[in-house]
Amino acid sequence: MNYGPLLFFGIFLTIASSWCGLVLIPQLQFGGQQAVKLESGEQYPPVRPGGAQRGEAVYRANGCIYCHSQQVRAAEFGADIKRNWGTRRTVALDYIRDKPVMLGTMRTGPDLSNIGVRNPSRSWQLTHLFNPQSTSAGSVMPPFGFLFETRKAGQRPAPDALQLPAPFNPPPGFEVVPTQAANDLVDYLLSLKANVPLPEAK
Amino acid sequence: MSSTPSTSLLKALSPSDHDEDLVQRKALLAEIDASCRLPVLLFFICGTLWLLVGTLFALITSWKMHHPDLLGNIAWLTFGRVRPVHLNTVIFGFASEVAIGVSLWLMCRLCRVTLMHKWIIIMAAVFWNVGVVVGVLGILAGDNTGIEWLEFPPYASPILFFSYALIAVWGIITFRFRREKHLYVSQWYLLAALLWFPWLYSSANIMLIMDPVRGTVQSAVNWWFAHNVLGLWFTPIGLAAIYYFIPKVTGKPIHSYYLSALGFWSLALFYNWNGGHHLVGGPMPAWLVTVSIVASVMMTIPVVTVGINHHLTMKGSFHMLRHSPTLRFMVFGGMNYTVASLHGVLSALRSVSEVTHFTHHTISHAHTGMYAFFTMVMFGSMYYIIPRLTLREWPSAMLIRVHFWFTALGIILYMGPLTLGGILQGYAMLNPDVPFLDVVKLTVPYLKIRTVAGIIIAIGHTAFFINLTWIILRQLQPYRQPTRMIIAATRNAINPALP
Amino acid sequence: MILLWILFLGGFVVLPGSALLAMRWAIRNGEFRDFKKASLLVFDEEEPVGLVTDSFPTGKIVLNTGPSPATHGVSQP
Repeated sequence: MNYGPLLFFGIFLTIASSWCGLVLIPQLQFGGQQAVKLESGEQYPPVRPGGAQRGEAVYRANGCIYCHSQQVRAAEFGADIKRNWGTRRTVALDYIRDKPVMLGTMRTGPDLSNIGVRNPSRSWQLTHLFNPQSTSAGSVMPPFGFLFETRKAGQRPAPDALQLPAPFNPPPGFEVVPTQAANDLVDYLLSLKANVPLPEAK
Repeated sequence: MSSTPSTSLLKALSPSDHDEDLVQRKALLAEIDASCRLPVLLFFICGTLWLLVGTLFALITSWKMHHPDLLGNIAWLTFGRVRPVHLNTVIFGFASEVAIGVSLWLMCRLCRVTLMHKWIIIMAAVFWNVGVVVGVLGILAGDNTGIEWLEFPPYASPILFFSYALIAVWGIITFRFRREKHLYVSQWYLLAALLWFPWLYSSANIMLIMDPVRGTVQSAVNWWFAHNVLGLWFTPIGLAAIYYFIPKVTGKPIHSYYLSALGFWSLALFYNWNGGHHLVGGPMPAWLVTVSIVASVMMTIPVVTVGINHHLTMKGSFHMLRHSPTLRFMVFGGMNYTVASLHGVLSALRSVSEVTHFTHHTISHAHTGMYAFFTMVMFGSMYYIIPRLTLREWPSAMLIRVHFWFTALGIILYMGPLTLGGILQGYAMLNPDVPFLDVVKLTVPYLKIRTVAGIIIAIGHTAFFINLTWIILRQLQPYRQPTRMIIAATRNAINPALP
Repeated sequence: MILLWILFLGGFVVLPGSALLAMRWAIRNGEFRDFKKASLLVFDEEEPVGLVTDSFPTGKIVLNTGPSPATHGVSQP
């Protein structure tokens, strides 16, 4: 094969075809999807409040996606629903407000599509983030101590100081308080709810 | 030639900084090697330094997987930052730089021209490295874009793209002014990779970062891009190298040229479409995933053709593996191309994916492709090319042996247990009666074996780095010992004054 | 939706169609002839078929097939 232009043509054609197929057609098919109005009158998916939006950036910056997926597979495919990770499979509509969409490809840790439904306790989430061993012994999740501040306790403990169990608690006279970033991240986690029934998620 | 603007532009880019007679005739191998010396070595040396950085980050990442407290409370060294730094340094730092170096040299040799417009390439190398440094620092600082395989922050990617554009322009100029009109199979692959990559990279950057598309379309674009970086950038360059070096080292032409054409066009046609198999079971339209699974299965054609072709070429020459470092790495890499691809075909099937999709099995598979196939082929290429650029022997045969055995056995120790661990993890996750923490604990022994494998591989890399530094330092000494494998005519052409 | 159909037609009829046409043209033009010759492109007078061009630095030079070319092997200065 000696004819350069033929080669160029073939090379161009093959990538053009897959670009049309895997990029352009999905964009035309569901790239323009809009939020819907539920029977209750609310919008779905709801706009994330400011704290949760900042928390999404914390989640992204610290690479949570490398261990946690955000997708629930259908009941007949995998054990996602049996594991109580969701009541229905997730669909394209669930993600239209995500920046970026962090579906994830790995489940070193559990799926987080519905973590806001499954474990809505703010103090549990904060304690777990500060040191996962304190709530889930044997976990391989890294501690996120850098999102917290260990400081000298005042006369009265701060209202948001963590209640840590024995070996994880700070030295006497000190307390652990979450920073803005930790609170934002928990806001984001608690906003993760894909449990609204949708007709397409049957 | 007429004097239309386009041809005069081409003329302006013609190799005018060369001897008049060089423009007319085919260059000697030695002339080509000498012209490649600085630019190609620059890519190789920087690439190898990135390999060491990437290996260090790999070890930190792997250790953190079973001892999460290691460096736990330093924000910029948290797991979710060092992992993408590992990926991006080895992909864009090491693998891409060495791949570019190998491509430049192969392109010059097959076009039978000396490397012209050296400054384009040197500038590209500088910009590429600046781009990777900026990108890595960006990720560590928390500017990860959150898109897998495209983590470099928006201020790093344009630098890389600019550098890449220089290389692509250079490649097309070289191709245009080739003195050998016949095209060899390696050139198809090189040219294809050269043209596919900018389309992939710009498309993904525009549609995901600059002006992001909405919702799960992002995931479709993301995996179309990420899988094609492997399939349309690294794989073609790796195959181009194998198609050149196995015949070159053994002195036997490729067994069947028909098969190589079939292999090339079927790869070009099917690999493109594979990306969607990363989204099996996800919130995507069924057709998209199905198309990708079908294309993945069709990949059997190019893989089996290439495998058979390489095997039949090697047949009768396997004894040479004892004598040739290049061939060792090439054959190990070639065999793993078949293993990785067939493994990939299996993993794409819905029933297999249901078990293995979200597990360490995928990580193991990625390393089979990127390391056991591609990286080993690049090592083999460097063992062949560098002595010809430096006109020195590799200083230590022992270090080459250490490099080969530690990396080869290391990656086998990596792949085997982690694949098994991933499958067990997958089955445990499918059983809702197993608490999730028990699934995590089940994987820990395999993750520890992975760290051991990583340390073994790191020793191999260190051996290579020592040998490389040594051969470069030999440049400072007066020319004493001729490189065995550079034939006399070659040597005389470079330096006729030698005895 | 009409646009989608146009794209499907484009994707599944026009693109493969033009690929087939290009293939037909290429075969007629003789692009797939002389394959044996093309496989010899990695060799030349300097490094002909049969010349083994790589070995461990301390290893012996091995010849795979054919006689040893005159230019091969470098004597120590």
